[in-house]
Amino acid sequence: MPRMSDTPESAGTGPEAAATPPPNRGFPSPFELPTPDGAEGWEELYPYYCLISDERRAMEEGKFWFFDGMHNPEPLYPFDTIMTENWWVAASQMASRVWPIPVAMGIDQRLVNGYIYVSPNSVTDPEQIAARNEHFTRRAGHYFENWDEIYGNWAEKAKDCIARLNEIEFRPLPELEPEENVFGHRGVYSSHDLLSAYNRLIENMLEMGSYHFEMLNLGYGAYLTFREFCQQAFPGITDRTLTQIVCGIDNLLLRPDDKVRELAELAVEQNLAGVVLQHDDPDALLAAMAEADGGAEWLEAFEAAKEPWFHFSTGVGYDHSDPVWIDDLRLPFIALRGYVEALGRGEDIRRPLERLLAERQRVTAEYRALLPTDRDREAFDGLLALTCKVFPYVEDHNFYVEHWHHTIFWSKVRELADVFVAHGFLDDREDLFYLHRHEVYDALYDLLIGWATGTPPRGEVYWRPIVQRRRRIRDSLCKWTPPPALGTPPDVVTEPITIMLWGITEKTIEEWLGVDPTAAGDVLRGVPASAGKVTGPARVITRTEDLYSVSEGEILVCRITAPSWATVFGRIGAAVSDVGGMMAHTAIISREYGLPAVVGVGFATATIRTGDRVEVDGNEGTVTVLERAAP
Amino acid sequence: MSDDPHILWLDQEGAPGNPLLGGKFASLAEMTAAGFAVPVGFGVTTTAYRVFMAHAGLDDKAAFVREAARRSALAEIGSARARLTDAIGATPMPGTLETAIRRNYAALEERTGRAGVPVAVRSSGEAEDLADASFAGQYDTYLWIAGADAVLRHVRSCWASMFGDAALSYRAGGGEAAAAGGDGICVGIQQMVEARAAGVMFTLDPLNGDRSKIVMEACWGLGEGVVKGDVTPSRFTVDKVTLEIVKRDVVPQAEEYRFDPTANAVCLMPLAPERGQTACIDDAEALALARLAKRIEGHRGAAQDIEWAIGADGEVRVLQVRPETVWSQRESAGLVSESRSAVGHVLARLSGGRVATAGPGQREP
Repeated sequence: MPRMSDTPESAGTGPEAAATPPPNRGFPSPFELPTPDGAEGWEELYPYYCLISDERRAMEEGKFWFFDGMHNPEPLYPFDTIMTENWWVAASQMASRVWPIPVAMGIDQRLVNGYIYVSPNSVTDPEQIAARNEHFTRRAGHYFENWDEIYGNWAEKAKDCIARLNEIEFRPLPELEPEENVFGHRGVYSSHDLLSAYNRLIENMLEMGSYHFEMLNLGYGAYLTFREFCQQAFPGITDRTLTQIVCGIDNLLLRPDDKVRELAELAVEQNLAGVVLQHDDPDALLAAMAEADGGAEWLEAFEAAKEPWFHFSTGVGYDHSDPVWIDDLRLPFIALRGYVEALGRGEDIRRPLERLLAERQRVTAEYRALLPTDRDREAFDGLLALTCKVFPYVEDHNFYVEHWHHTIFWSKVRELADVFVAHGFLDDREDLFYLHRHEVYDALYDLLIGWATGTPPRGEVYWRPIVQRRRRIRDSLCKWTPPPALGTPPDVVTEPITIMLWGITEKTIEEWLGVDPTAAGDVLRGVPASAGKVTGPARVITRTEDLYSVSEGEILVCRITAPSWATVFGRIGAAVSDVGGMMAHTAIISREYGLPAVVGVGFATATIRTGDRVEVDGNEGTVTVLERAAP
Repeated sequence: MSDDPHILWLDQEGAPGNPLLGGKFASLAEMTAAGFAVPVGFGVTTTAYRVFMAHAGLDDKAAFVREAARRSALAEIGSARARLTDAIGATPMPGTLETAIRRNYAALEERTGRAGVPVAVRSSGEAEDLADASFAGQYDTYLWIAGADAVLRHVRSCWASMFGDAALSYRAGGGEAAAAGGDGICVGIQQMVEARAAGVMFTLDPLNGDRSKIVMEACWGLGEGVVKGDVTPSRFTVDKVTLEIVKRDVVPQAEEYRFDPTANAVCLMPLAPERGQTACIDDAEALALARLAKRIEGHRGAAQDIEWAIGADGEVRVLQVRPETVWSQRESAGLVSESRSAVGHVLARLSGGRVATAGPGQREP
């Protein structure tokens, strides 16, 4: 059991760094940021523990906070904090208490103007590191040694969790309790069912959230070690090359798109290309398919492909508002049409797996041959083999958790929201997301009281004005651009996920310190993620819905791209994103589509406007505004 | 072709690696034999130099100057050196040698189909381009020399450059390296490449020793500026394995080295602004150069420093290859100091350690 002395503070982390902040070398204090106009009182959207607080000012300012726009590019909806609050505990406990990783504690969070800032805690005391190391070696060693078996069981646990989530149902309370509950002598009734369904929903989410991180730090850790080794041997090796060496050529995240390719081939085979090409509207297409000769077989294949592959979010799965393929078929059907057209032109639309594999083997062998000694090649081989062993989990967990599970979770929350709408608490199912999950519990109990007593519940008049006010506040927060970092820069970054997932290193921090966001000129710099140079009109995407307005040849400018945006990559000329670590998939997708991409630009969405003519140089990592659009 | 011991053509049998050609030209002969595009030419061999020195009775004076240089007494022998280099410039050549040079220059005119073909007259020292000392730029090179008389004059100048300040002090400081090399010099006579762009490239990153990179420096016009350092070149870094350009640093250029017919010499001349503002080589050319560098390195079996030029015809020519000397000399002790399992490496890393304790990234050249 951890004792009090194991807390991050005594483990040699955080606050003491605040004692002597070097002059003029800091980021803005989280206390000094102005509240955006119209967002006064934004704090009421979130629980107390998510907010910075004056009584701990020295500690808050002494920490290094960076904006996690990668997972949550927008201000959080109160309900959506279940995702961030989940990993706050679930990811952190793995590093701090479960393994425990010798040099890292957990990753702290705060919401500032509704945007999420995170702060890794390190362990720097050599004695603490040594003590933790003993446990870590045994525990993590066990996982690495038994990786394949543990991952096999992991996938079963994940599927079981998803199956139980699927069984949860929310229905409005009946006027009179059904007879079977009376004559079956159940003794618990619809009120209890509704409340326990909600509890199960939340627990199910947190359960999956815990599986999410069971093996992730170790997986990233193996890759981090391999990556650093390669960077040491070849200081100029790009992340592009590293991902080419280790990334799965056939991971689950590519499966949804593969399914669409198969459906395109089937449509052409069955002479149904015309049906696909004639209908822009998904419902019209499906109706026409049902009428067409051979359409039944295609529809059957389509239904089979949907489970589970269309449980595919257009975001990173953390935001309820990101459209999901299975609910909004526009994105997969745009891709479907594209593939049918390509087949019509006689192109081969299958991913060239053999060629990709051969190229990867060539690149790996040539790099390996450049290493100086046999012992180095032995280390390279071992680390690469280990990285390739852990990588299926690192990549595929994303489909199980963020796509398959989370998209169903959000649809269940909407089912619950319909109950509140039916009982007159809310006007629209989407309104529920303006309540924190703990407030939802209160509202639900209020609803049960009203149903049980016959007195109209206060919720019928209580929540509407709150939702209205919070919507206005959040809309105002959306117009604010969060700075990349706050507080006191750290001397070292050791926490593996911070480095691997967010791509934050001492170098990133140095770069941020050199950037004046207000002075952002016409040339923006980022990480060159995919080679090539393209000029075109910018299309700035701040909401996923904006994706549908992207036109042929436009430069996609966004906070971050998601794997499932793949379908628009067939139309755009290049991609630019504010944030991006090497595991964010933007780079991989851009490369696959042969598009120039610059990620981690920082302020692209704030600086560039839709219609600006921009040049994206994916070799140099620059984005240049050539001509401003008329305001 | 020649069976004269004074002359050896680059594409002649027995030329590749022949010490009679000095370091630079022997390597170029090797490149020629391997099928690389090297401008056609011949060497006035080290034998020719020795025959001349003996015939002119300058052996003793040369030995005296060299000995003084080894004692680092350069300043004391100023007049002896001046007398020596004057004599090298003025003493008649043995008739057979002069005839041989004239005849072979005529053969070059014939082979290139150009009367008075402009050539580069280049020193190629015996001690030059050894794996442990480059001697780069210590001996003289003369560009755009046309006509047999001018060629003969500049052959003498190359011989005399053996006793120039630069060569003597490098050899004095070079100590062992100089002692290991001979005292002879070959003079190469090679068709001039009328370069649209030229430069150097290394088959490793000279800044950090990264063997997976090819770093090239390029400028408009002849490569003189890059070698001399009075033109700031554009710099390109290409990944040797993936053949992607990973870094581009294009430097605007106001002047280029090219032949000025008025001055009848290679001069630093103004460059049209629309050219000077753009990259002197495009991406396709940078990649073609990188592929060439990779082939040369593969052929030579070690990291190389390569001089190249792209002619007006767009063809890439190899002007010089030599072993990279700075990083190659560092004994590569390897990166990993301790043999461990992969899991052991990862656990150590997550405990705050590092897998590689040495390596290019750790060292300064």
